[in-house]
Amino acid sequence: MKKIILTSVAVAGVLLMTAPAHAVDSTGCGLGSVIFKGQKGPLMQILAVTTNGTFGNQTFGITSGTMGCDPNGTVTGGTGKLVFAFLENNMDQYAFDASRGSGETIDALAGIMGVSSEQVAQVSKEHFNELFPDENVQVLAVATNLMNLLNVAA
Amino acid sequence: MRGKRVLFILNGALFLFFLIPSVQATFVAHSPEWLALGHYRPSLFGVKSTIDSENFFLASDGKTNPDAELNATLQLFQSNDTETQCRFPARYQFLKQKKLIQTPFPDCSKYEQFKKDLNPIGITLLYTDAYMNNPASLFGHTLMRIDIPEGRTQLVAHGVNYGAFVDPNENGILFAVLGLTGGYMGGFTVKPYYDIINTYNNIENRDIWEFHLNLTSRELDFFVAHLWELGHTQTRYFFFTENCSYMLMEFLDAVRPTLKLADTFPAQTIPLDTLKAVYQTDLIDRVQYRPSRQRRIAERYRHLTSNEKKELLNYLETLQLSPQFTPTQQAAILETAYEFIQYQWTEGKTDLKTYRRQTFKTLQNRTKLNTPSTPPAIQMPSPLTAHHSARITLAQGFERGNSFQEIQIRPAYHALTDRPNGLLNGSEINFLNTNLRYYDALKQLSLQQLQLVEITSLSPWNALFHPFSYTIKTGINRNWNPKTNTYGYTYDLSGGTGLTIELTPKLYAFFLGETGMHYGGFLPHNLGINIGAKTGIVGYFNTYQLLIEAERLFSDNWYLNQTNIRFNFTYNLAQNLGLSATYILKDIHPHSNNTFTVGLNYFF
Repeated sequence: MKKIILTSVAVAGVLLMTAPAHAVDSTGCGLGSVIFKGQKGPLMQILAVTTNGTFGNQTFGITSGTMGCDPNGTVTGGTGKLVFAFLENNMDQYAFDASRGSGETIDALAGIMGVSSEQVAQVSKEHFNELFPDENVQVLAVATNLMNLLNVAA
Repeated sequence: MRGKRVLFILNGALFLFFLIPSVQATFVAHSPEWLALGHYRPSLFGVKSTIDSENFFLASDGKTNPDAELNATLQLFQSNDTETQCRFPARYQFLKQKKLIQTPFPDCSKYEQFKKDLNPIGITLLYTDAYMNNPASLFGHTLMRIDIPEGRTQLVAHGVNYGAFVDPNENGILFAVLGLTGGYMGGFTVKPYYDIINTYNNIENRDIWEFHLNLTSRELDFFVAHLWELGHTQTRYFFFTENCSYMLMEFLDAVRPTLKLADTFPAQTIPLDTLKAVYQTDLIDRVQYRPSRQRRIAERYRHLTSNEKKELLNYLETLQLSPQFTPTQQAAILETAYEFIQYQWTEGKTDLKTYRRQTFKTLQNRTKLNTPSTPPAIQMPSPLTAHHSARITLAQGFERGNSFQEIQIRPAYHALTDRPNGLLNGSEINFLNTNLRYYDALKQLSLQQLQLVEITSLSPWNALFHPFSYTIKTGINRNWNPKTNTYGYTYDLSGGTGLTIELTPKLYAFFLGETGMHYGGFLPHNLGINIGAKTGIVGYFNTYQLLIEAERLFSDNWYLNQTNIRFNFTYNLAQNLGLSATYILKDIHPHSNNTFTVGLNYFF
């Protein structure tokens, strides 16, 4: 529920920011989609500090972090879902780490997939242009390609 | 006869058989462990639990009666209500260990899945620092992380946050009022650590400090079990008292009752103070620092040569790199650019199309370089090195030749001239700063000032970051009237805004436009407004702080048409002890008033 709210906020934000010519479906799950912004301005920040607000419902459990970027359920399997959920939330940082061949997201992905960081780093850097062919690349494609390149079963 | 005796003995044994467990239960019900587990705190009549959810209590008077609650819990575990049993794994563990329960814990698939997903190996206390340009956030925030075994990164571990549940569309002012007065319910949420990093490090630009706790494996189990119990409950959220940090204190007490952390915070709970209290208990065994995105950018920028800086600014305009730079230099420029473009995006200063074009181009440029990434290592003094929240100052001074003694009490939190370690340079937030003065010659004690709130933020403006500096103060001040040579009080509200420039990393210069409203029978016509400007420098050196400022205010009210000069030098004797000298010149042409004070500051 919480994620749905955040996603709606994010999507609404994206909608407001993009020109009308842009298709809705190509904006939500690419670079820059994790934008749920901080409270703006000193006043809003002071107000936010007083409450340490958590937006969302009150059913206890782990909030999964899924943003709904795989509506057709293409990604299956435990590892695949974990890789996908991670990239949904960290795609911009992973793109950065892939381009330079090191970084924490590479270590995290290696941990999830059960391969070495060096391997993920090397493959990500070498195949950067396949993983990120253009600026509107979607997270689903990145996750699938990465797992294929590393021969990791979903 | 003999038979009767046997019966009697049997009776006695039977009696003891029933009595001993109940004595034992009564004893356990008042043990620190059980009281901490039920979050019972001393109240006017006995004890009362902090937790407000009714479903946390099995007995009808469980909130105030730990005996009844214990008996109800024992009954629960003799019943076949496994669903309810599954909600209390920590109580079960404790009572089993006390041998009050013999039955096995039921199969609880949801709870087992929860534990499996968390995959706990340790607990880390997280402390988030202030927003870079907002002294109100200097109080910090604390949360927890449940660490996972994978050695190299905790990104996919889980964070545990206690906060108020708020409607995302809540009106701003209402949000604050309800937050202060207990209008919201608070509760625990568990989410991936990368989510927490995104929120604090990358969106709010606050540093995260990670303090690993030396819990035993049994305590770790108990932590997760108790989190499951508390996760299903809610409690009224009060910003000053029952806030994020306070609940974590009670939580840690439940895990290790000998800590007695909650006892330390009977009134207000400041997150930084709770961190220090935890440190005092020797619970912290290692510290790690995770700088915010803004700090990472600032440090990367600081490490660039002036040519590289120019090239970076040029790159942000053109997305073109000049080939005159070595691959290592290019990598440094591109990486700084990438993080800065991300910063611009989260600050809402760019649109998605531009953002994607800029980031994609920058990554393409970066991936062509086969140079390893070498961001500068960032070291900051830990928040544990910060001075305590309350300050008392004893001072000796002279005002126009009259000597006086002064006592100054400030309950919270940090002044511009206080030692900034673990806090933020150029920031100030004071509440109820109160100053009493005794003049030797007059033999008279008087209230010199009662400042309700003072907030100042001097945040440097540079090529990348453009924060405004500001100041706002309000309170009662005692003033001297040169025409009548008498003293009187005014209620003052003043504020200003402007710019700060970093002359060196330790020395800031600032320029503020100011305006003030002043009210008091002492003033001509009771009321006056003035407007003017202030400029000065503030320096933060290893052992001392320096502040020099000059202010010129104009008004049609002769009294408020004044020039003020202030000089302050504070020498740090220890983390919580400082020596300060202050000189203040107030000039109301053609009269002037000089005050000189030397004092000892103690933080507690």
